[in-house]
Amino acid sequence: MRTRIIAKLDVKPPFVVKPVHFEGLRKIGLPVDIAKKYYKQGADEVMYIDIVASLYQREILLDEIEKAANELFIPFGVGGGVKTIDDFSKLFHAGADKVILNTYAVQENPDVINQAAEIFGNQAVVINIEAKKWEDWYECYTDCGRIQSGKDVIEWAKEVEQRGAGEILLQCVDTDGRQRGFDIELAKRVVESVNIPVVVASGAGSLEDIKELVEYAKPSGVAIASLLHYDKFTIKDIKEYLKNNGVEVSK
Amino acid sequence: MSNIIGLINYGIAGNIHSIKKAVEKAGGTVKIVNNKDELNSVDKIVIPGVGSFKDAIQELQKSGLLDALKAAATTKPTLGICLGMQILSTLGFEYGKTKGLSLINAEVKPMIVDAKVPHMGFNKIDVVKSNRLLNDLENEEFYFMHSYEVVNYTNIVALTEYEGHKFVSSLQQNNLYGVQFHPEKSREAGIKLFKNFIEL
Repeated sequence: MRTRIIAKLDVKPPFVVKPVHFEGLRKIGLPVDIAKKYYKQGADEVMYIDIVASLYQREILLDEIEKAANELFIPFGVGGGVKTIDDFSKLFHAGADKVILNTYAVQENPDVINQAAEIFGNQAVVINIEAKKWEDWYECYTDCGRIQSGKDVIEWAKEVEQRGAGEILLQCVDTDGRQRGFDIELAKRVVESVNIPVVVASGAGSLEDIKELVEYAKPSGVAIASLLHYDKFTIKDIKEYLKNNGVEVSK
Repeated sequence: MSNIIGLINYGIAGNIHSIKKAVEKAGGTVKIVNNKDELNSVDKIVIPGVGSFKDAIQELQKSGLLDALKAAATTKPTLGICLGMQILSTLGFEYGKTKGLSLINAEVKPMIVDAKVPHMGFNKIDVVKSNRLLNDLENEEFYFMHSYEVVNYTNIVALTEYEGHKFVSSLQQNNLYGVQFHPEKSREAGIKLFKNFIEL
């Protein structure tokens, strides 16, 4: 299977920002421009997360999403503050192919996963897990690593699969934005505990980090943000490097 | 000759936005089809594909499109995408057993493979019988996003291999075409496929 290379945009409308440890935001640009740039570089997918919608308890803003969707001829996953089936529907109509869900499902109503999967199909429901490492377990956090849930990451991953989620986006509060490598143990444990695809984010600081993650944890995809935002490497660079090192990627 | 591509809109579950965009990028004229009458005024049909088999059939029934679509798909060139291809089959097994449009003798079953499901990402197609829809696309990669596959033996145009498991990635029966992948999500190769469809 070709490992997917996914560009992840954390958005604080109207800008793509880059949080460090999910805090301290830096403006990168407008979503439509950034999304288009990564599409042209050969991204396999783009993920767009409105990182403040849930925290501010407001609805996700559709304008920027629609503009970005118009530039993409690859899958576009969108999330942030999603609660109801109506939210899912609005996002699909704005051009999303997958809806990314975290806070509401883990903190309030996990049944929304079942409902959404039955209506939109499993493949359209992505669960975002923000993992925080404790001494001997990982805890699910929400609202950009601010709020605890008390739920165990591995147990939650299995539960969302049971409920019909089609994919997991695994982020890590401890490594996000630091560009010092992924938590590959966490990634491996989550990948091995479910049968649905797992996309791993949080930590790419070098091409070697990505290769190490893919070889060790075998995720279905890798989501990259900082490395791309700061023009350290392009998607094309990443794919070429992986290909030259025996990792199968799309062209 | 008019060449209007009718895009079937079946309620909340259809992802028509991205297909409309891709067909227009390929130079086509798109009309969103919400009911029977609108179906009469188009020249070709695209059935999109996001949602579950059961829900799709129910939505088509609700909008009164089910029988009209069944009839139109035998006369007008029709392209089913992902779920839109799957519902052309006789029977689907997603959330219980559901009768399909029964235009192609096939059943839709969960993928049985020793790998992650849904099968998600770019993958190659192996064209086993060339046709105009896949013209010049024989070596391209397309985006797949599915947990179910069409089981058919008589109308196979292309196969795709996922971790050692081969499944049907494209079907054809006369004017009726189906693709399991998402051309609207497959970069330039997908736009080319829509171009081929427009030129049919």
